[in-house]
Amino acid sequence: MTETAVQPSAKASKGERRIIIRTVGLKKTYMMKGVLTEALRGVDMAIYQGEFISVMGPSGSGKSTFFNMIGALDSPSVGRVFIDEVDVAQLTAEELAYLRCHKIGYIFQSYNLIKYMTALENVTTPMAFGGVMPDEARERGMALLDLVGLKERWYHRPIEMSGGQQQRVAIARSLANNPSVLLCDEPTANLDLHTGQEIIDTLVKLNQEKGVTVICATHDHRMMNICDRLMWIRDGRIDRIANREDVQIEVDSIG
Amino acid sequence: MKTISIADQPWLSMKRTVSITVDGIRYRLFRASVTVAVIVVAVAFLMNILAESLIKRAVAQNTRERISNSRIIYDWSAKLTAPGSQESVIEDLADCEDGSPLEAEFRAFTGLDAEKLTVLRKQAKDIMTIFRFFDELDYAKRRSLIHTASGMDILKRLQKPEYMEQFNTALSRIRSVQFPLSADLLAQILKEEPAISAQVATILSARSKAIETINQSMGHATILEKLADADGEFGDVIRKAGFNLDETRVAPLLVSQANALLDTLVLEKSMEERPTRQLIAQQANILPADVNVIMMWKYLDSKKFATRYLDKMQESGIAIGSLTPERLVELAQKRKENASLLKAERLTMDAGKGALGLGERLGWLLFVSMLVCGIGIANAMMMSVTERFTEIATLKCLGALDGFIMIMFVLESCFMGIVGGIIGAVLGGVIGLGRMLAAFGVNFLVAIPVGDVLLGMLVSVLLGTLLAAIAAVIPSYKAARLAPMEAMRVE
Repeated sequence: MTETAVQPSAKASKGERRIIIRTVGLKKTYMMKGVLTEALRGVDMAIYQGEFISVMGPSGSGKSTFFNMIGALDSPSVGRVFIDEVDVAQLTAEELAYLRCHKIGYIFQSYNLIKYMTALENVTTPMAFGGVMPDEARERGMALLDLVGLKERWYHRPIEMSGGQQQRVAIARSLANNPSVLLCDEPTANLDLHTGQEIIDTLVKLNQEKGVTVICATHDHRMMNICDRLMWIRDGRIDRIANREDVQIEVDSIG
Repeated sequence: MKTISIADQPWLSMKRTVSITVDGIRYRLFRASVTVAVIVVAVAFLMNILAESLIKRAVAQNTRERISNSRIIYDWSAKLTAPGSQESVIEDLADCEDGSPLEAEFRAFTGLDAEKLTVLRKQAKDIMTIFRFFDELDYAKRRSLIHTASGMDILKRLQKPEYMEQFNTALSRIRSVQFPLSADLLAQILKEEPAISAQVATILSARSKAIETINQSMGHATILEKLADADGEFGDVIRKAGFNLDETRVAPLLVSQANALLDTLVLEKSMEERPTRQLIAQQANILPADVNVIMMWKYLDSKKFATRYLDKMQESGIAIGSLTPERLVELAQKRKENASLLKAERLTMDAGKGALGLGERLGWLLFVSMLVCGIGIANAMMMSVTERFTEIATLKCLGALDGFIMIMFVLESCFMGIVGGIIGAVLGGVIGLGRMLAAFGVNFLVAIPVGDVLLGMLVSVLLGTLLAAIAAVIPSYKAARLAPMEAMRVE
């Protein structure tokens, strides 16, 4: 853990920090049974390339909504999302599909594996969508399963695997097309302590070795120990953004 | 600095799309089989109606032919004993086909060449149309149009201007009736009537003369007895007299039918004798007074009883002619066959004459069944799409194009349509075949229009598939257009 702690500060000290995702005045309102619900009330935020950021907040705070916006999975009512300075709202359906396929990897709380596909097929599906030839996709898929330690179980279907294994397959799948950004929506919420730790270790490894930007919605306090920055959302607004070192001090001082 | 370059997502290969779709169907086999069952029932219903009406139509055709064949003996015995009326000659002229023996016969009687005879036949057809028009009218209308005239007298009456005027006024007053011929054509026919009548008279006198010749050769024999020799000497007599008797097809039929009728006469006569009556009564376990011809035929079906019956006849000194037990059984069976022919004729009275043998009622039934099938499939597909919103959302997160989602569902629906369609078509066809066989008997197996039924199957399968595909388009279009997170929220 101590080694990982050094790395982010080193990255930060480079000074030259490129913004990969930026939101401007992000608002989202839903009509729920005739009642107007404001999930986001104006979020301005910048996420830097290569950083590991944790988004925290109580349930109903608009955390998931914020996540879907920056992952180009939902459109904001007001405001804009820029992914690498490209306005997501301006993209065509084909370009959006390309963005979701190649540039962003998604990891969901409920894994969302395709039930009728084997682990390997789940991992190679995004490659197929991306136009990778089947032989190459198979090779790369096996390598990714190897990375998450499930090479031996490539022919298993989701129903034959434990929650942790399914989540690891989901991680392998999210990495299928070498994404620049990894969006994780509570990746450890449904897992026991040990498996949760394994997932976190994998994410950290990806962040440091491949330079993938990791954005993680979480309630898991272990995440706080390894991320570069922390962001709190409350009532649809950004409550606080802090570097990990500062938070560490706070925790220490409370202790 | 390097930016995220965004391009258009490529299309997934068809092979991969199909394999993903098939995997999906296999995973939800139970669900899919319920949808398939809906299609099976609908297509089976459709195919059943199609098959039954097609078979019915073919059997109707077959029955008409066989019945007209089985009545050849009556036609010829009438023809050889009486020249007929003017109207019957007109009807024969209207009905006779190009190159038929009847046509050659008419040519010989009238001395007309083929071209002129064709004109005469066309005129006869028009006159038949007029006759039929008046025959279908009710009494009051007919009377106001043509008074009491019938047959050729109708034409004779209309030739008089005052009656023609009366006819036209009455016709314009009766709005529900449409005269089938144009005024010009009617006028032409009326003008040519004397010539036509003259030709008809020629034919009638030629026939009379021919009948005279035949009568002279007959001696004391009945026409039936003579016709039993239609393929021999008597056939030559008929031909020499001027009638065109087809040697290869008609003459053998006449012989066998004449013989059958003669044997039947002998048998039915034997029924009037006390000993044979008693034998049948014994067999049927009833009083001799209650015995009738139908019972005799019923028991003669078995060779054992036929032998006993013949023995009894011989014993009691009743003439048996050339009858053998085998012949009795054969006659009884032929009688049964005739009964089934008549039954088939009755059952196929309502056979449609449209493109697929469908009447108006069946067409409507078919339309309703298709509607029910379409709604059933649409409902099943909508359920299938709705319960898979999470999967759709996930696939879209992984970079699936909207088109892929649509193709996936439409393909799935098509697969189910084809499978359900084939099962349904076979099921419906088999049920239809079974029902028709039960109704008409194995005799009509030869009449089944295999090609038409297979075509009907193809049409049913295609229609089922098309319906399934169309029913899938709307829900899958909706699903494909949703933003991934909206789709996930739908649960």
